[in-house]
Amino acid sequence: MLEIKDLHASVGGRKVLDGISLSVPAGEVHAIMGPNGSGKSTLSYVLAGRPGYEVTGGSVLFRGQDLLALAPEERAQAGLFLGFQYPVEIPGVNNVYLLKAALNAARKHRGLPEVDAFEFLQLVRAKMKLMQMDEAFLSRGVNEGFSGGEKKRNEILQMLVLEPALALLDETDSGLDIDALKVVAQGVNTLRAPDRSIVLVTHYQRLLDHIRPDRVHVLARGRILRSGGPELALELEARGYDWLLAEAAA
Amino acid sequence: MSDDAQLQDLVGRGYQHGFVTDIESESLPPGLDEDGVGGIYNFVTKRGECRGRNSRISWTQVETGSAITWKYPSCVLRGENSVGEFYSVALANHCQQADTGTKMIHIGPNTRSTIVSKGISAGRGQNTYRGLVKILPSAQGARNFTQCDSLLMGGRCGAHTFPYVEVRNPSATVEHEASTSRISEDQLFYCLQRGIPEEDAVNMIVNGFCKSVFKELPMEFAVEAQNLLAVSLEGAVG
Repeated sequence: MLEIKDLHASVGGRKVLDGISLSVPAGEVHAIMGPNGSGKSTLSYVLAGRPGYEVTGGSVLFRGQDLLALAPEERAQAGLFLGFQYPVEIPGVNNVYLLKAALNAARKHRGLPEVDAFEFLQLVRAKMKLMQMDEAFLSRGVNEGFSGGEKKRNEILQMLVLEPALALLDETDSGLDIDALKVVAQGVNTLRAPDRSIVLVTHYQRLLDHIRPDRVHVLARGRILRSGGPELALELEARGYDWLLAEAAA
Repeated sequence: MSDDAQLQDLVGRGYQHGFVTDIESESLPPGLDEDGVGGIYNFVTKRGECRGRNSRISWTQVETGSAITWKYPSCVLRGENSVGEFYSVALANHCQQADTGTKMIHIGPNTRSTIVSKGISAGRGQNTYRGLVKILPSAQGARNFTQCDSLLMGGRCGAHTFPYVEVRNPSATVEHEASTSRISEDQLFYCLQRGIPEEDAVNMIVNGFCKSVFKELPMEFAVEAQNLLAVSLEGAVG
């Protein structure tokens, strides 16, 4: 699904990713953990193609094609979804309107006709029920006046409607209370499928209590320091990151 | 206007129907070239007087098509409790200049006025809001609310705001809110990441910016206004 080889990237001239290699096969859930400022969010933004994040070396294959050659909207249309850490507000633009435009852009890319308005509403309502969201959300502006938790739920709702091949979730668990975390985790779990991969960027083990990852990677100083099974996350929870950093420095 | 009378006026200058459909090769305003030579000049004086009690005048305008616009539809609020409203969207792209606004002259007691102005500047366009809110000594308890927002696209356009406020009655309440912003990179990237092409994303964000004016328009005209804006913004990105 996703094949990252020796990826280097810088932001504003500052080197942030220093040779990342990572392979995420279809059907797997991977967690990327690491201390603050380790390059986790940068990795998400580089993969999504955010302007200002400059790739200085390496390659990324997404479903066999050169991801880095695609424009941001083409990456999205090809099935890459980024759940933002801080979803932006777009005043005056209805949630439902953005969602429909996004779905239709993806369908157009696959050569499918635009979604019927009635079917679309049915689809969205079903997903909203799953996310325990009130229907008033639909007519509100995109993330306008949403609480932190509401914004994160809205990200997952969009993901459920768009059904991407690869979902990158950047600290989707931060700022959520326990109940909201469960709802978000449940949303992510319903999306697990043999032809889909999910990458969770997170600080905490607690999200992984609800979404069990196949692999855990530790990212620090722009590199993957260690990879392992779910037990690695537990070890990190107990011991922190310092011992890994010390080992890497030795 | 007499007691309880209502007037709603929609004024707009933009591309005509046929022009909208066949715009691919020609996204400049009629007669205006890339350097701002030629085009239509739109100099307008419009003024309404609310003479009766509870009468109301509402101006709603969408300005997109002229090379130069000077336009200030105004209200004289003489009748007690009379209401004046001005809702405006003005877009200046290429070398267009839009200088527009309103005058609200409060004479009668408890007269109220609302001004909502949305200016969008792109290319080398210059957008100016110029308005007067005047409260005369006789206008006991008069109220005005003004909101004046500017959106900038690119680095060569300009937005200017000249609000004049003259209050001669201490019981009056006058509020003025103004903002100037750029289309944010964050908003644009968010839409792109959802697979929405850049031009559509810009249209979406700009339409959202104008929403509080567009919702004052009748449905057919609102749809027209959105299309007009989309056409007028062509080439403003990238």
